[in-house]
Amino acid sequence: MKKIYNDEENKFSELLKDLKDLPKIKAPDNFEYNLLTRIQNKNFGKTVKERPQFSWAKFLAPSAVVVTTIILFFIFFPSPQENNNQLLQQTKLQDNQSAVNNSSSAKNELKNQQSVPSNTKLQSNSSSLLGSNSQTTRPRALSPLYDSRSIKLDDYISGANKNQNNTNRGNIVNNGEEPSQYDGFIVSEKPDKKTLERYRAVVDSIKKAQLKADSLKKVQK
Amino acid sequence: MNKLLTELSDEDLIKEYQDNNTPEAYNILVKRYKDPLMNFVYRFVGDRDVCTDVVQDTMIKFYLNKDSYRSFAKFSTWIYTIAGNLAKNELKRRRRRIIFSIDNSDDERSPQIEDKMFLAPDKAADGEMRNEIIQKALLKVKPVYREVVILRDIQDLSYEEISEITGLAIGTVKSRINRGRAQLQKLLKHIYRE
Repeated sequence: MKKIYNDEENKFSELLKDLKDLPKIKAPDNFEYNLLTRIQNKNFGKTVKERPQFSWAKFLAPSAVVVTTIILFFIFFPSPQENNNQLLQQTKLQDNQSAVNNSSSAKNELKNQQSVPSNTKLQSNSSSLLGSNSQTTRPRALSPLYDSRSIKLDDYISGANKNQNNTNRGNIVNNGEEPSQYDGFIVSEKPDKKTLERYRAVVDSIKKAQLKADSLKKVQK
Repeated sequence: MNKLLTELSDEDLIKEYQDNNTPEAYNILVKRYKDPLMNFVYRFVGDRDVCTDVVQDTMIKFYLNKDSYRSFAKFSTWIYTIAGNLAKNELKRRRRRIIFSIDNSDDERSPQIEDKMFLAPDKAADGEMRNEIIQKALLKVKPVYREVVILRDIQDLSYEEISEITGLAIGTVKSRINRGRAQLQKLLKHIYRE
C-alpha cells in the first residue's frame, strides 16, 4: 500500500516540488492590532460582510409564492355567485309550495267541474298528477312554510279558514326566542286549464315510456 | 515570564490560557499560527482580504471558545479545523452569491480567476507566473480534494494530522490527496508534460 502511494508521489514529484515552493503568504502587519482591537471592543461579529445585492432570484422567489397563493385562493374559494343564497333557495321552495297548492286546488276544481263518473281516466290522471305532486312535495319538509304558521290568502278572504287554528302564529310572533321562519301569505293562482292538460299529457307520456322500458327490460331478461 | 511562555509548546500555552486566562499565552499562539493559517486559507480561498478576515475570525473563535479545546488533541489540528471550516463556509457563501446573482458582472458569474493556463510554455516557466498559474489551478480543484492537498503538500502536515483536521479516515485522506493531485496535474498539463 505504502509503495503505491510512494509511486504516486513520484508521479507527481514535479508538482509536489512546485507546491512546496509556492511563496508563503504572511498575515498583514496590523493583523494582531486589528484582532486585539476587535477583542477589546467585543466586536465578534462577522468580518466578511455580504453586500446587499439586488438579484432577480431573490425578487422572483417571494413573488412566485404570492402569485401561487392568489391562484390557489381563486381555485379553492368559491366565487360569491356560487354561495348558497338562502333567499334564492326560499323562493325556489316557495315555488314548489305554490305548485303543490295549485295542483290541489286544480284537483278540487276538476272534481267540481267533471262530476261525470265516466271521467275516471281523468281522475286517475289527476291522481297520477297528484302522485307526481307528492313527489314534488318532498322538499316540503324543508320548506319554511308550515300550514300551522301560514294563511292561505284565498281561504282567508273567502272565510274558509275559520276552523283553522292559528294560535301558533301568534305565539311565534310573540315568542322571539326561536329563529323565525318565513311566516307569510301564499298567493295561490288558479291554474290555466290548458296548461294543466299539457302537464298531464307530459306526465302520461313519461309514464307510458317508463312502462315500455320496464316491459322491454322484462323481455330482455 | 514572557520568555518562559514563548518556550512552551502549543498545548501548554493553551492550557495556560484555559486555566489562568493569560492573554500573553493567547498572543503567542496567535503569533505562531497567523502566518500558517493565512497561507492555508489563502491557498484555499484565493483572496487575500477574505483570507485575512477568515483568519481573524478563526482567532476570535479561538478566543471565545478556548474551553472547547481538549488536551488530547493537538492544538495545531484544532485551530486548522476551525480555520478550515470557516474557509469552507466562506467558499459556500461566495458560491451561493455567484449562483443567485443574475448581475451582469462577469467577475461574479465566472470563477475569479482568468484562464492563463494556455500560455506559451516559455512564459509559463517564469517563476512568478508559474506560481500564479498553480494557485489558479488549485482553486479549480474540488474543495474536498483541495483542502487535503494544501494541508499535505503546502502546509506539510502528516496524514494523521490531516485525518484529525478533516475528520476523515487516513485511507480516505490519502486517496483524496491522490485525486486532488491528479486533478491539479491535469489542469497544469501544459506545464507538466508526461
